[in-house]
Amino acid sequence: MRVHAPLLMICNNREYYITPSGQLSRQVEEAYLISRQELKETMEHMSNYSLYAFEEEMKQGFITIQGGHRIGIAGKTIIDEHGIRTMKFISFINVRLSHQVKGCASAIMPFLYKKGDILHTLIISPPRCGKTTLLRDVIRQISNGTKNEPGLTVGVIDERSEIGACYQGIPQNELGIRTDILDCCPKARGMMMMIRTMSPRVIAVDEIGSREDLEAIEYVINCGCKLIATVHGSSIDDIRQKPVLRKLVQEKRFERYLILNNKVRIGNVSQIYDSRGNQLYPNGESYD
Amino acid sequence: MISLIMKLAGCILIIAGSSGLGVWMAQWYNKRLETLEYLRQMIILLKGQILYANAPLEEAFDTIGKRTEGVLAELFIKISERIRTQDGESFNSLWKEEVGLLAQEAPLSKKDRQVLSGLGEHLGFLDRDMQERNLLLYLEQLDIDIGKLREQKQERGRLYISLGVMGGLFLSILLC
Repeated sequence: MRVHAPLLMICNNREYYITPSGQLSRQVEEAYLISRQELKETMEHMSNYSLYAFEEEMKQGFITIQGGHRIGIAGKTIIDEHGIRTMKFISFINVRLSHQVKGCASAIMPFLYKKGDILHTLIISPPRCGKTTLLRDVIRQISNGTKNEPGLTVGVIDERSEIGACYQGIPQNELGIRTDILDCCPKARGMMMMIRTMSPRVIAVDEIGSREDLEAIEYVINCGCKLIATVHGSSIDDIRQKPVLRKLVQEKRFERYLILNNKVRIGNVSQIYDSRGNQLYPNGESYD
Repeated sequence: MISLIMKLAGCILIIAGSSGLGVWMAQWYNKRLETLEYLRQMIILLKGQILYANAPLEEAFDTIGKRTEGVLAELFIKISERIRTQDGESFNSLWKEEVGLLAQEAPLSKKDRQVLSGLGEHLGFLDRDMQERNLLLYLEQLDIDIGKLREQKQERGRLYISLGVMGGLFLSILLC
């Protein structure tokens, strides 16, 4: 949604205009134009008239609402001595509907185990390729157990409420019977807390990348827990370029790398690598 | 003789009626003070929910409404339900509407209702600092009103009852 621009929707990688009667159209002339007042009211409604409750998230440019849907926002940022204080004149909204696809990780689950033990795994994916959806199903299957593997306790640090979509502490998405969730908790602190308090066998986090995350990841790996994480990127080389994660790749800390793209469909696993960069996924694309 | 008895009975009824009115007004005054004190507690709880639990308005009103009782608790629960159902109104308009519908038996003066209605104008708007200032401003207003009511509680109570009795006597004399 953009002020004075047509209301757009993207579904199955196709773009549609929404008409004043709520129909989908491919003709821009039929599209509904959004006013500033409507955008303001949309924000008020999406936040349940409580924008103040999303103050910290707004500094990062998004809010997550009930159901785990992420609302990206852009406008004029207000800066103070600590950085971005808030955002005003919000003129652009991007609503991303969260959904769970049970079983979407079934094909790759055997690659995440070795001799009955789960492996440290990094899911690498560009935005909008379904990495959170895949992570959610991986968590669910590890927690519930698969045909060949028993269920394990999983600790999820859900900083943006996207994985579990917790509402008043109760996950709206199914994450398995042995899963504990720390909702809206910063990843680095959350990983430490989870290990000390809930004794998980596996820790799962979304979108790692900060320096604090690195310290917490090393703590997780060194204390015998297994880590399943996601990161933005399109190849292992991309991760090697990232100043923080480079170290983990060089030290071969991750035992599996899952590369996602949306070439065939969203959430398509293009290849799986081991820590030495060997391709393991016969159904995947070949990269030399 | 009968006429004298009738007059006497009439006078007694007038005095009893006006005295009752005086007592009722004194009680209403006390109840208004109690209601404002209770409202003050609820606003402090609301402030805690917003500032420390970072609860959205729907959750904050629901939590406090369920922990308290009386017409104000009902008002808080209704507000929470209205936010949950979201029928396209702004928060200010739904707040004003619900405060306007607040049961007439609630011992609040017209001015109390107006000030309470004004609280919704800036609630939920901007950041947490703004919520805190808005609630503190309202609490300050409540403190002033409660202070005045407490100060005048004794004399007002006596005044209403005396006025009731004296008014009844005066009316009886006038009619006889």
